[in-house]
Amino acid sequence: MKTTRNEKAKLSLVLSRVLAYGFIVFLCFLCLFCFILLVLMASKSNSQLQGAFSLRWGGNFLTNLKNAWNDASINIPRGMVNSFIVAMTSAVITTYFSALTAYGVHVYNFKGKNFVFTFIMAIMVIPSQVSAVGFIQLAYKFGLTNKLWLLIVPGIAAPVVFFYMKQYLESVLPLDMVEAARMDGSNEFRIFNEIVLPIMKPAVAVQMIFSFVSSWNNFFMPALLLTKEQYKTVPIMIAQLRSADYSKFDMGKVFMFILLAILPVMIVYMFLSRFIIKGVTSGSVKG
Amino acid sequence: MSEVTLKNVKKIYPFTEARKDQKTDAHRIAHLQITDEGVIAVQEFSLDIADKEFIVLVGPSGCGKSTTLRMIAGLEEISSGELYIDGEYMNDVAPKDRDIAMVFQSYALYPHMTVYDNMAYSLKIKRTPKKEIDRKVREAAEILDITQYLQRKPKALSGGQRQRVAIGRAIVRDPKVLLMDEPLSNLDAKLRNQMRAELIKLRKRINTTFIYVTHDQTEAMTLGDRIVVMKDGFIQQIGTPQEVYDHPSNLFVSGFIGTPQMNYFDARLEKEGGNYVVKVKDYKVVLDDEKQARLAAKGVEPCDVTLGVRPDNMVLGEGGIKGRVEVSELMGPSCHLHLDIDGKDAIAIVPTEGKAKDYTNMDVSLTFTGSVCHLFSKEDEHNLEF
Repeated sequence: MKTTRNEKAKLSLVLSRVLAYGFIVFLCFLCLFCFILLVLMASKSNSQLQGAFSLRWGGNFLTNLKNAWNDASINIPRGMVNSFIVAMTSAVITTYFSALTAYGVHVYNFKGKNFVFTFIMAIMVIPSQVSAVGFIQLAYKFGLTNKLWLLIVPGIAAPVVFFYMKQYLESVLPLDMVEAARMDGSNEFRIFNEIVLPIMKPAVAVQMIFSFVSSWNNFFMPALLLTKEQYKTVPIMIAQLRSADYSKFDMGKVFMFILLAILPVMIVYMFLSRFIIKGVTSGSVKG
Repeated sequence: MSEVTLKNVKKIYPFTEARKDQKTDAHRIAHLQITDEGVIAVQEFSLDIADKEFIVLVGPSGCGKSTTLRMIAGLEEISSGELYIDGEYMNDVAPKDRDIAMVFQSYALYPHMTVYDNMAYSLKIKRTPKKEIDRKVREAAEILDITQYLQRKPKALSGGQRQRVAIGRAIVRDPKVLLMDEPLSNLDAKLRNQMRAELIKLRKRINTTFIYVTHDQTEAMTLGDRIVVMKDGFIQQIGTPQEVYDHPSNLFVSGFIGTPQMNYFDARLEKEGGNYVVKVKDYKVVLDDEKQARLAAKGVEPCDVTLGVRPDNMVLGEGGIKGRVEVSELMGPSCHLHLDIDGKDAIAIVPTEGKAKDYTNMDVSLTFTGSVCHLFSKEDEHNLEF
């Protein structure tokens, strides 16, 4: 009797595990499916892509790569470099200044602190497209178009990143630690750079990935502000390839370029994800 | 030389919208004084701390002891009054320029740095040569017996080891004054006793002025050269541990210092034949000569008083105060008797003299001598001898 009950319990445990793992595998597949599809599509010629949909390897991977790289109408390496400069610089600046602002609001007590916090949060509800109109007009009036830094500087004010950093600081930074650093003789900037920022590594890594990806994929602002070929970023170039006239249109080349375009994002993610670890502050204070 | 002088120091937390509720709660808990300016956390705090003295600020939660320490450290602004370190006016000097080190209750170690780097951090900021840093860190680590942990990160250490590192980080700088804010309160009882002994040893090895905050009266009694008892932001008494124990200035101090707590009885102070006697119901005790002289000098008239007697001064004997033992705790060399005396709780410590005896539910009579009586005013609770 007992054995039967044990066997039943074992069976239900195995079944629930199989279901759980099956579900996880399914979710993984859903996530990876787009990437697999992209690689497959990048291996097909334009005529194969015009035909019926198939999940077979096309065999034109290297040809597409060569065609995309050597396309006379777009300069992929230049676009990659431009995109990388904009995305990386804006990711670094955004996370650093947002963390600094969050630190200021979290650690210092000053009059109007709550107002400052609410004001920054209020900016979050304004769609970027609304503020972009004024910004673009300003850029054109001052003759500031075709400048990469114009895409970088507005990123400094990122309320969402600030909010994330503030919440993170509240959970990991005991004020005792800041005071201990002050007693040790450190000035406020040094405290932030040498004590607080290393503690915030996981949050900084997460936000750097997000900022990098959103800046790398940004099409709206660069398309309006960058008109000269040598300043164009990857999303503009992809759009350019897609809108090429019928005689030059090669879908395989477009897929290959999209594949090339996501590579830097993946590299950045792989590099930064190792910093996203829990328990960085464990051991610093009682607990 | 590192003398610290506080003159009429006061701390007011001004009302801000964000803090208003918080401070109201604080008031409810600690009965702090609230004025139009805000909540008064510390007031009329005057104290001269001599060079290399070990001063302990002791009191219940919310009494202002940590605030006082933080004002000395420069982490809290002094609302009024003056602070001098070595005769130098320090009110507006930044914490980093006061040459003070502080050990926090929560250790406050830098989690991303090794023990060595934690200890060396302040010296690096001062641009001390590397060799000198290495020598000082290793010397401090040697004193605290943490040399083997120098390359570990704080998370790989136990609570006691972390607290040693926190102390090491403070002493490595050779500060003029070493502040400690309840450094042992996060440790378990055994470790706390051990660390307390370590602190006594440490104090002998490093020549500096210590200001130590605790709510544990045992720590205060064992560590301090002098202790400052605080309540509701006011100093209640300053004195050596023995002075405070033997001559508490008021009812609060008498109850706060000493474990188990002092017993209190409603009594009557009277004069019989020129001598002061204290009567608790039918039990009458003639005060000793010293107390007689003090009360006479103060011109104390017969009145109702609160009589305080420490549990270890109560002796089982005939004709004393009668009570019933509710619980009898055998503590080894002595037995703690928890008594019910006319509906009030009292404790007496009686020696076992090698024979364990259970006093539970026994009716006993307790006596004491005139030299161990503490008489407190019914009106303002001050010690009538002061």
